[in-house]
Formats: sequence, structure tokens, C-alpha cells
Amino acid sequence: MAHGEDVKYVEITYRGIFQKRLAKYIAEGLVYMAREMGRSAVSFGRYGDSPERNGVPAKYYVALGSLNEEELIGYSTRVEPETVDVIVVLDDTLLKGVESWAWQGVQPINLKLKEGGAMIVTSTRNLEELVKVTPAKEFRWDMGRINVEKSFSGLWAFKDDMTMERVWGAIAKMRPDIVDLEHVRTYVKEHKKDRVNERLSAVEEAYETLVVKSMAPKEGAEFKYSPPRLLTWQEMMEGAAVPAVPRGGRNEQFKRGTTKTERPTVDFDTCIKCKLCWVYCPDECFDETKDGYYDIAYDYCVGCGICADVCPVKNCIVMVNEGRFKDYRRPYEMWKEDKVAYKSWLKQVREGGVKERVVVPGLGR
Amino acid sequence: MYKSIIKTMKDVPLEEFYTSGHRTCQGCESAMVMRYLAKVAGPRTIVVGATGCMYVANTTYYTTSWVVPWVHTQLGGSGAAALGTSAALRALMRKGKIKEEPINVIVFCGDLGCADMGLSGVSNAMTYDYNLLIVLYDNESSANTDIQETSMTPYGAQTSFSRPGTARRIMKRRWKKSVVPMIIAGHRNIRYAATTTPAYPLDTMNKIKKALEIGGPTFIHSLDPCPKGWDYDPMYSHELGTLSVETGLWPLYEFVDGKLIYNEPTKGIVEGRVKRKPVREYLEKQGRFSHFTEEDYEYFQKMVDEMYTSWEIPGVMPIKSVIK
Repeated sequence: MAHGEDVKYVEITYRGIFQKRLAKYIAEGLVYMAREMGRSAVSFGRYGDSPERNGVPAKYYVALGSLNEEELIGYSTRVEPETVDVIVVLDDTLLKGVESWAWQGVQPINLKLKEGGAMIVTSTRNLEELVKVTPAKEFRWDMGRINVEKSFSGLWAFKDDMTMERVWGAIAKMRPDIVDLEHVRTYVKEHKKDRVNERLSAVEEAYETLVVKSMAPKEGAEFKYSPPRLLTWQEMMEGAAVPAVPRGGRNEQFKRGTTKTERPTVDFDTCIKCKLCWVYCPDECFDETKDGYYDIAYDYCVGCGICADVCPVKNCIVMVNEGRFKDYRRPYEMWKEDKVAYKSWLKQVREGGVKERVVVPGLGR
Repeated sequence: MYKSIIKTMKDVPLEEFYTSGHRTCQGCESAMVMRYLAKVAGPRTIVVGATGCMYVANTTYYTTSWVVPWVHTQLGGSGAAALGTSAALRALMRKGKIKEEPINVIVFCGDLGCADMGLSGVSNAMTYDYNLLIVLYDNESSANTDIQETSMTPYGAQTSFSRPGTARRIMKRRWKKSVVPMIIAGHRNIRYAATTTPAYPLDTMNKIKKALEIGGPTFIHSLDPCPKGWDYDPMYSHELGTLSVETGLWPLYEFVDGKLIYNEPTKGIVEGRVKRKPVREYLEKQGRFSHFTEEDYEYFQKMVDEMYTSWEIPGVMPIKSVIK
């Protein structure tokens, strides 16, 4: 692409449905601001992400450049851009990997980032902690953190908690070539009817307090990613048939453990072996062990929390923030190895990692 | 006839024929129905699935989570596909091409693919005496294509086709249609039909088992709470399922050989032993009813009350109220 250098991309990675509107509004704002700045811009969702599922990682893009809009649309009609300039991560647990469609496998969050690009994460954890789980790149890039709780609502509700304004402020700070602070301010003033001053101060606050770290080459966590090879039509079975899962197995090609923001932790000492977690799990994550306990396959668990809801024993199954775990190791073998150590590990993990869920009528989450 | 009924949780078979690694939402109850039916039906089963959210969920780019064969049909083609599959199996057995053994044919179709546009095909399939079970998983919308209204959407619910406006708050004004009474009233040869919800797993599994054992064309209508379309925290899927029954909105009953049997807790409600919970408890937990005002709640409650006070068969047949 000869004229490809003129186009810049912003990628917004979010949790499907919960943050769909948030991502859409961020993209919409960026398009308006870029147009005000005299550039053409379009926004589009990644093809494979619609129809979205609750919690499944999904992506939204903004393309901006000096081409005319029609050319830009033509240039953007693909599943996703090859490289992006800015990545906005709306939930810090997405740093562990993104899997929205099977054939991509579990991708690192910053797979498409250009050299010298910027990634903005919304998180209440400090930057050093985030760096430990962020996949390393071969080159230098910048990581910024906005100190904000992840904003979850639902399909019909939109949680207007100024995350949108904060993200714009952060982009203006890190990449003024995409949008500058002046145009963010003008956009907010002109397009938002209510709480304008509050919104403006959210923009300022993000701009002032954004923590930025320059990531050195190879800094961060190791992330092994090899894109799965797609079968050609000659290799496929007749009539687009798909080979079934062998008996007793699971679908190895699509694990989707990246869907979860929380994971269930089990206190095996208080388990009464009632089987309720096993029977109510929509993702068949529980494996019965020989002594009647239920072991969890975390790489298939999507963290819906039904098991914690139906468990009749208090504090036996508790949902804990996914950010506190490094691997997908099964809990049963850990407990079998050393019960006392498991108990203290459990206590340490649950402390501060458990979110009180308040049911707000009509607001979903 | 029903010798091997699952009485306790310990009798539930452990082996899965619909396993992990599917592309459903967090807290998807329809995936649970699928899991239960595959579990109860066992390895000698063919599952036919009409287009819907559970079709996309099970075919994620050349991967699947099915252990038993699963066939995709077009949106309105579920009845015809089931009939064809069942007839083909019988023909193959008669000709001695395959071993003679019971093979379950189960159709899994959504409310659009079964109760709306697929109803003619389903009704046609019900008139023949082939062995097939049609399971209608009802999440009260077309959930695959971002929540559109269907005839199963309850009164007043928000969908992308019925958003509340300033001039008219309630855009969906029709009442949800009852499919099982329609099926049992219209098809004399049908020996088993039931309503269920996966919030009662043993009930669901027993109904599937009974339907498969009785044979002939059978029908199960399952109400599946859908965190995406109903807009609630996926954690509360199970609670919303039980609330739908406890408020009386979703009566659990089965129709066996011409007799209508209520199941608990609906049985208690009909007999007057259990008091119905106010419908409000169920409605206000969901984002799709967030625009409801006091009078809407009252209207909804009135309609549900009518089901139990002035219907010919409580919660099932409204003939009496029509004559009046």
C-alpha cells in the first residue's frame, strides 16, 4: 500500500456487550474530533466480533488519515488492520490475552502495535504490576494507565462514569497527533448536553495524571503466540463438516478462558460434594475427581459466577478478580499437594479480590 | 414406562456429549439445556440445530464442542430437517443398511426458528409418527443478531426493534404466545409435550428422558434466561429461571398421553399451597424492563393473575376468558 502510511489506527479492545457502547462512543468521539482537526476518519468493529457475546473480548477500530473518507472506508474493509498506532484496553484482565474467534487463537493484547505505538490501559492496579503480565515486544513502545475502575453495564444500559472522557484525555496526552487536548475539549463542549464541567474535568484529570512508562524492547511477560493455520478447502471434510470432539474430551481449539474477569476459587475443605456447581455450569468446566470433589478447568471457565451463586456453602466457591492469577492451574491438585498452603494461598488471593455485587434494578451488572 | 427416571443429582450421568469450548455468553442457560439433552440422550443421538444464537455458538471456525453428530439447518427448516432425518434413519434400518437400534433425533431450535417462522415446519413434523423430539429454547428474542423482537418476547421488553420512546413507552404491546398448548391442541397423535426451564436441572433432564422414551413426535418448550438479551449479571441466570416459575409467569407442566400434569412448584401454585411471588421481583432484575413504571408492573401482574384465576386450565388454556 503506497498511501498506507497516511492512515493511523486506534484499536479499542473491550468486553463484548458489557462495554460495547462505551467502545462505540469512544470511537465515535475520536472520529468527530479527527474530522474537526481536518482529517477524514471512520470507525468500524472487527468483523468476527459481531454477534458479540457477554464478556467475550471484542475490538473496535478508528481509522484516520489524509485520504478522503471513501478511500478510507475501502481501505478499512478487512477483518482488522495489520498494525495499529494506539491500543485502548478497557479492562485490565484483557492483558492476559484476547480470544474472540477460534481461528485466531489466544492473541497477545499488543499483537498489532506499531513500533513506538501507545497502549492505554484502564486499571486500578499500579503500572509495575501491569507490566508483569503485559506481553513483551521486540521494540520500544509506551504504556499508559488511567486510574479508573472498569466500566461494566449491559446491553440496554450505558454506565456514564466518564471513562470515555478519560480515554480521550489519555490519547490526547500520549498521541497528540491523533487528537489534541483542544479538540477533545471542543468536542465535549459541543456534543455533550449534561454534566459538561464534570466531563471536562475528567478529560483534564486523565491528561494530567496519566502514568506513562516507556517499555524497553523485550520488557514484559513472555507470550507464546502462533496463529492457528486455517485449513484450505481441499483439506476440509465434505459438506463443511467439522470433526466431532472425541468422547471424554473437550474442544481443544477454542478454550476462551480469556472471557473471564473473575474466576471461581474453591475451598475444598468445606465442600459438601452436592454436585450443584457441576450441574449448573453452562461451560462444563467441572471435572469430578475420584474422591467426589469438583476440579475446575480454568482455561475453559468463562467466569459467569453461576457456580458461586448456587453453591449452598458460604465461602466455598467465591469469585475472585482474574488479575490476581498468573496461570490456569487447576485448584484440586494444588489442594492435594499441600492443604495448609492451599488454604493460606486461598486466603491471600481472596483478600481484596472479591467484588461485592450489588443488584441494581435494570442495570444488569 | 419411565423406569430410568433421574431421581437425585447422583443419578445424573457424568459423561458429556456437549462439552466445553463453545462460543456462548457468560452464564448461558441455553447451553445448559443443550448439555442436559445430550447427556440424557447419550451417544446414539443426532442433534439438528436451526439457525440461532446456539448455531453460531457451536461452530466457531472449524471447531465444535459436540461429541454427537450435529447438523445445521436453515432458520425455518427445523421441523422438515427433523422429519427427514428420522424418516431416513427408519428407511435405512428397514433396508438393512444400518443396524436396527433406537437413535434419538433431537431438534434444538430457538424461538424465532421454532415458534415464529419455523412453526409451520414444526407443526408438519408433529403430524407424522416418526420418533423425534423438538426442543424449543426460548430466550425471548433473536439473540444472535443483537436482540430483535419475536412473538415470544414478553410484553413491554426492550429489544433493538422495540426501544421505548418518549411518545410511547411500551413498544411491544402483544402478549407472549403459548406454544405447548398450541401444539397439544392441534396435534392429536402427540403423546408428550412439556414446558421446562434449566434452572430446574432434574426436571429438565427427566422431561427430555420421558420425551425420548415415549417416542413419536414430542415437544419441549424451555425458557432460558439470556444475560445478553435480558440484560442482567450472568451470575443470576439461575435465580431468574426460578423466579420466572415462582412468580407464576412460566408454569411448569407436562402433557402425557392426554393428561396435563403440573410440576412443582407450579403444582403448588395451581393447588393453592404456594403463594406466587410478585412479578415485579422478576421484572426489576432485568435491564430490558428498566423503563417500566408502576402502572406497567400492575398491568403485568394483572395479566399473570388472570392466568390462574380466570383461565380454563390455570396458566395453560385461556378458553374460559375468551368465552366470557
